[in-house]
Amino acid sequence: MILLENVSYAIESRELISGASLRIGQGEFAALAGENGAGKSTLLKLIMGLIKPTRGDILIQGASTRDRKVSALARTVGYLFQNPDRQLFGATIRQELSFGLDFLGVSKSDAESRVEETLGWLKLDPDRAPLSLSRGERQRVALASLFVRRPSLLLLDEPTTGLDYRECMQMMNTVARLNREDGVTVLMITHDMEIALDFAPRMLTLSGGRIIADGSTRELMRDEAMLKRASLIPAQMVALARRLGLAPGEADDADSLAEWVASSVKGGAQRAGHT
Amino acid sequence: MPGILEYQSGDTFLHRAHPLVKLLLAAVICVGGFLTQSLWVNLALLALSIVGGFALGMGRKVKASLKGAGSLCLFLFVVQLPFVRMGRTLLPLPFGLRITDLGLRYCAQLGMRLLGATLPLVLMLGVTRLSDLTNTLVAQLGIPYRYAFVITTAIRFIPVLFVEMRDVIEAQTARGVELDGSFKQKIRLIPPLCVPLLVSCVQRMENNALAAELRGFYLRKRGSGYRRYPLSAADAPALAACALILIIAIIT
Ligand SMILES: Nc1ncnc2c1ncn2[C@@H]1O[C@H](COP(=O)(O)OP(=O)(O)OP(=O)(O)O)[C@@H](O)[C@H]1O
Ligand SMILES: [Mg+2]
Repeated sequence: MILLENVSYAIESRELISGASLRIGQGEFAALAGENGAGKSTLLKLIMGLIKPTRGDILIQGASTRDRKVSALARTVGYLFQNPDRQLFGATIRQELSFGLDFLGVSKSDAESRVEETLGWLKLDPDRAPLSLSRGERQRVALASLFVRRPSLLLLDEPTTGLDYRECMQMMNTVARLNREDGVTVLMITHDMEIALDFAPRMLTLSGGRIIADGSTRELMRDEAMLKRASLIPAQMVALARRLGLAPGEADDADSLAEWVASSVKGGAQRAGHT
Repeated sequence: MPGILEYQSGDTFLHRAHPLVKLLLAAVICVGGFLTQSLWVNLALLALSIVGGFALGMGRKVKASLKGAGSLCLFLFVVQLPFVRMGRTLLPLPFGLRITDLGLRYCAQLGMRLLGATLPLVLMLGVTRLSDLTNTLVAQLGIPYRYAFVITTAIRFIPVLFVEMRDVIEAQTARGVELDGSFKQKIRLIPPLCVPLLVSCVQRMENNALAAELRGFYLRKRGSGYRRYPLSAADAPALAACALILIIAIIT
């Protein structure tokens, strides 16, 4: 699906991405983390073909981004920008969603049914102006305007930053459903390790333009030294489980940790009762 | 690399000169081009700007402005030329249009005047920090701070707008918008490109105005700036040049 081969990107002799190699398969859900200015957005733009690597090559579904136009890539790749206001312009939400479907060659009736379906989960009045919505709602409309295109790859730049807990969960559950049910590949930038742990089985960490870690989110979450390099703190449950001496994956969420604690307390009490 | 309207740090005598002197010099070269009747003086003023620009290490700015303003001047030249009826006809054209000797001279001079007015301004902004310009406009010319601020902020906004425009184009191409489509498609691209840009500009201006107000913008008075800008002996040659250019422009 996505293949990066030793990719570097420099602006005026300053290297923003250095020697990045990675492979993300169809249907994967990966989080991309790293400190501010690490080059996360730059890496995403490279994958979208908005900028071209100075060295190395990027293949999306087997084709190099060098010889494909962004608009051609946009047929299968959806990109959510860090700032949703860059994308929104429609007078109404409905208009925003249907924009450009005819460019893609979608038939009129198909376009209408897609828009209706998307409006169904968006749960917003389709006649409201996107620019009058709250920040979280605008973010969701921007995401919805990508979903109607039925992309097979979603690139999300900090989709949950600035959202409250409820809006954040709505957003992430929608993305997770698309990943699970439609097999959409997701690469998502986030600073929130709790979200990475809950939704993304795989995590990549970027620091100073280099990929410093790539692996299972649960396992990377225990590498506190590496996380610190990328200005991240591990999810609290994982930190607790590690302090308690549990193996990765044994008990990483509140419920299983509580169960473990309860059973060990009970075990301890029973042992105490015997003596 | 600083943009075409941005300050470019350096240590030439013009960088060190008094901001007002630089403003005056640029103004005199602009105005001189319009005062003079002689093509040769126009040519000389243009050459002065170009050579001066390269000498200041701002060849890149000179080339960029010549390319930008130059193509506009060329366009005006070609469009106006056939409509001037005065003078001796050199080449008759259909529909009663013609190219005359006076027409050539008149249109060439107009082009040179426009070009000659652009370059000094670009160079002046290249050697003067905007904050210095604002401060002297307020402290020495007595222009109310809010007007001086508006002028310099407008200049400062141009490169910001370019970055903003690039981001909006990126965001819309990522949505499948094609910038090199047919004419009909291009018309349809106006809202997706202009609305986000307009929205972000208005938002930014509103935020900046609020932020400025919260930071005591309206408390600022003529004597408020910390920096003082005394005229020095080093400014004398530039002032003399101003006077000379003005005199030559008036008598020719
Ligand atoms: N067009 C550009 N010109 C010059 N420098 C750039 C450009 N785009 C990005 N950079 C620089 O590249 C570095 C990485 O930027 P990038 O936006 O990829 O960081 P990021 O990891 O997404 O950070 P954040 O978490 O703040 O969004 C930054 O230092 C930024 O200043
Ligand atoms: Mg970013």
